[in-house]
Amino acid sequence: MNRRVIRVVLFAVIAAFLCKACIVKDVPPSGSKNKIKNENINSLTYPYPKNVTINGVDYLQSQLPIGKFGGELITSTIGQGPKTFNPFNSKDNISSAMSAIMYDGLLSTHPVTGEPVPKLAKAYEILPDGMTYIIKLRHGIKWSDGVPITADDVVFTWKDIIFAGLGDTSLRDSMVIDNELPSVRKIDDYTVEFKTPKPYAPFIRSLSASIAPKHIFQKAVDKGGEYFDSFLSTTTKPEDFVVSGAFKLKEYLPAQRVVYVRNPNYYEINLKDQKLPYLDKLVYLIVGDLNNEILKFEAGEIDVIALQGSKVARYKALEPHSDFVLYNLGPATSTMYLSVNLNDRKGENGKYYVNPVKQKWFQDINFRKAVDLAIDRKNMVFNIANGIGTPLFTPESLNSIYLNKDLKPFDRDIVKAQAYLKKSGFYKNKKGNLYDKDGNRVEFDLYTNAGNTEREAIGVMVKQDLEDLGMKVNFKPIEFNSLVNKLVSTFDWDMVIMGLTGTPLEPNGGKNVWLSDGRLHLFNMRSPQEGKKNILPWEKELDEMFTKGALATSFNDRKKYYDRYQEIIYNEKPMIYIYSPVIINAIRRKFKNIYPSSLNGLTHNLEEIYVEE
Amino acid sequence: METLKYIIKRILQTIPLLIVVSIISFFIIRLSPVDPLAELKLNPSISPETVQKEKERLGLDKPIIVQYGKWAVSFVKGDLGVTSSGEKVSRKLQERIPYTLLLTSIVILLTWFVGVPLGIIAAVNWKTPFDRILTVLTSIGMAIPSFFFAVLLLMFAVKTGWFPVGGLTSPDFADMSFGRKFLDIAYHLVLPVTVLFTISLASLQRQMRANMLDVLDSDYVKFARAKGLSEFKVVYKHALRNAINPMITLLGFEFAGLLSGAALTEYVFNYPGLGTLILEAVMKSDINLVMASLMMGAVMLVTGNLIADILLILTDPRIRVKS
Repeated sequence: MNRRVIRVVLFAVIAAFLCKACIVKDVPPSGSKNKIKNENINSLTYPYPKNVTINGVDYLQSQLPIGKFGGELITSTIGQGPKTFNPFNSKDNISSAMSAIMYDGLLSTHPVTGEPVPKLAKAYEILPDGMTYIIKLRHGIKWSDGVPITADDVVFTWKDIIFAGLGDTSLRDSMVIDNELPSVRKIDDYTVEFKTPKPYAPFIRSLSASIAPKHIFQKAVDKGGEYFDSFLSTTTKPEDFVVSGAFKLKEYLPAQRVVYVRNPNYYEINLKDQKLPYLDKLVYLIVGDLNNEILKFEAGEIDVIALQGSKVARYKALEPHSDFVLYNLGPATSTMYLSVNLNDRKGENGKYYVNPVKQKWFQDINFRKAVDLAIDRKNMVFNIANGIGTPLFTPESLNSIYLNKDLKPFDRDIVKAQAYLKKSGFYKNKKGNLYDKDGNRVEFDLYTNAGNTEREAIGVMVKQDLEDLGMKVNFKPIEFNSLVNKLVSTFDWDMVIMGLTGTPLEPNGGKNVWLSDGRLHLFNMRSPQEGKKNILPWEKELDEMFTKGALATSFNDRKKYYDRYQEIIYNEKPMIYIYSPVIINAIRRKFKNIYPSSLNGLTHNLEEIYVEE
Repeated sequence: METLKYIIKRILQTIPLLIVVSIISFFIIRLSPVDPLAELKLNPSISPETVQKEKERLGLDKPIIVQYGKWAVSFVKGDLGVTSSGEKVSRKLQERIPYTLLLTSIVILLTWFVGVPLGIIAAVNWKTPFDRILTVLTSIGMAIPSFFFAVLLLMFAVKTGWFPVGGLTSPDFADMSFGRKFLDIAYHLVLPVTVLFTISLASLQRQMRANMLDVLDSDYVKFARAKGLSEFKVVYKHALRNAINPMITLLGFEFAGLLSGAALTEYVFNYPGLGTLILEAVMKSDINLVMASLMMGAVMLVTGNLIADILLILTDPRIRVKS
């Protein structure tokens, strides 16, 4: 008797305890997928701040409604957090983002049009020769320690840090034209001139690189490369940072958070001439993974979050009675593609990288066209991206300002695909298996990196789609590092599903992928010794387009070349683009002056955002 | 003197052990097909020169045996090297070790101060309702996987809002007074400590109970009782001393778990300890960091055992005589 009572009571206590955890504030997910329209994007009306001069100081004046000062915005970053706060040393995205908050560049990108717009600079001018850039600086603006920002800082940053090859040299490497670097020259205290050896249009985007305070960086530069690599690292005291950006580092706790406070000397003001930013604090929580981030958002510990496709439907249903708003930022800049290995060369051991039988198929444009037509992109968007995505047919992402809009999307057409195969002599036997004209069964491997659930799902669907044509596809998700090794060193793969992130502003950023001797020319990768061996006619044309595109100066001229490059890929199909996910962000309602931009993200105008209680 | 000799002998014995451990781990990591530079190689904006420079910096262009030699030499000199992103390994570990120690030592103290007495009480009150309730509770504690339990508690925190969702401190921690700082950390520690405490308490309590029951059943306890000693003296003077010996060995293993035992829970709770650091290091094949943590684990295990053995010598006269 006694024992039974105890057991019952015990059970009841445990059950009650567990049930408390199950009292759900959830709303049953309704079928309202796909309903976050771009109606929320009011970025089309975003008024970019204007230059105003007050008492001889050239401020940037925000054109948005006047807000309240104070408050904080807490956001998150996934992974291990920044490795450095030195903008010239950062090799990973998180470090770059964390240091870019503190160090403004001369120019920035207009969140709607994507044009270069003045930031730390007051104005810029490109002379008609297409090689000379005149940058006018703001009078009277200061670093966070009160020292004026002048042409000396700019010249020092470019000459002694970037061109000198200190820290991460990617930016420098990308500007070498015919083995020559651009030059930089001080004209007066508030004017700087840059000169490229040849007209080189992508250079203007480089001018958004951070500018360093000379009086702080000089001693680090003098001590040389090794010292510079550890300069302003994550162990530097926050007081030692002298910044030009809207926020300044206050605290960094490894694996916990990065806290910034407002920079009282920031050069942007509101319409009442009060100094921005509105927020007192900006906090980045360092979270371990996506799940943790979601939990923290739901518990109200963070204010902004980027949602994955699978979560969007639920959040959309929650939105009307929650304290957050969803924003559709449009297509992501990342592209997902299926690439075919066009390599027809032999390795050092005298063996072909790709089996010669398979080479015949892959080199055959009809085969590639058939594959392209057999892939059901809409189905993938619907099933894998939960409808939160757009089918993709071009190498440029859908929000790219260089997107070739003449390249029309098409639907899956299995009949047409079969017709292409027939043209090249492929035939099906009675069981529906596909054979080539020499009687070889069409069978190949399809790789992707294991662990990326989205790509794995795409792989499964591609396999099914291609099996409708009678091909036998061995889908093999393998470990990321091994896959990269196959792609860039051993070249022994048939087809692969991968993704690349590009920039929507500058196609030249993808030259490593498209130039026939590029380091990431995956679909027909050549080892450095091979140079441009066995170059295909359309590869040659691609090379030409990229070379000319970089040297042309006007947007319209460049657009012509880059339109042609997209057309070549669209026609030749070495890489078959699948879809691009749409970015959905959620942010608490209390934040005002939110002007989301497809190019720059949800909180690109941090200094103008304020909290309304 | 004898004891000292014994300790020195034991320490010398660990040297070949550590060498073997390091060789095996180094080669397994290096022979796995993980390329620490894969991400750089697949980034269109990184130039080949940069990749080559990184390769040289990490010593990946040399044969494995040379890489091991270099690592071993600097390890012996006390230099743990740098991580793949160029930070000092020793610094990275230093950042995290205090947090992990804070968590694990609280848990160990709690479990021992609660688990051992509970085990004794349960054994003394054998087969009473109290003992039975404890048995049920510890069964539950032993049956729940720590990972799952941690996730459950995290969900609980999200739905009720009673506890923070992971982490160690609140964002405005820096501006708090000392008292509030203390409370803030305690508040954040409740859930992870609960997880680890429930799980290790269960096994410890059971172990103690079983030991105690064994001893209580032995002849000398019966004799002590027959002699007319008070029950208190029988249990706490005669039985307990004998029952505690196996627990000391266990304590040695607990010591080894001080730095690594909480890794899973740390990961789920987004706790800024060693767990997340080392997990990521393994995924990225960050050799110096992985090696440092493996060696640390090995050293801790060896030391833990050594400490346990020494404690045993001190507490158990039988061993003292034999050695």
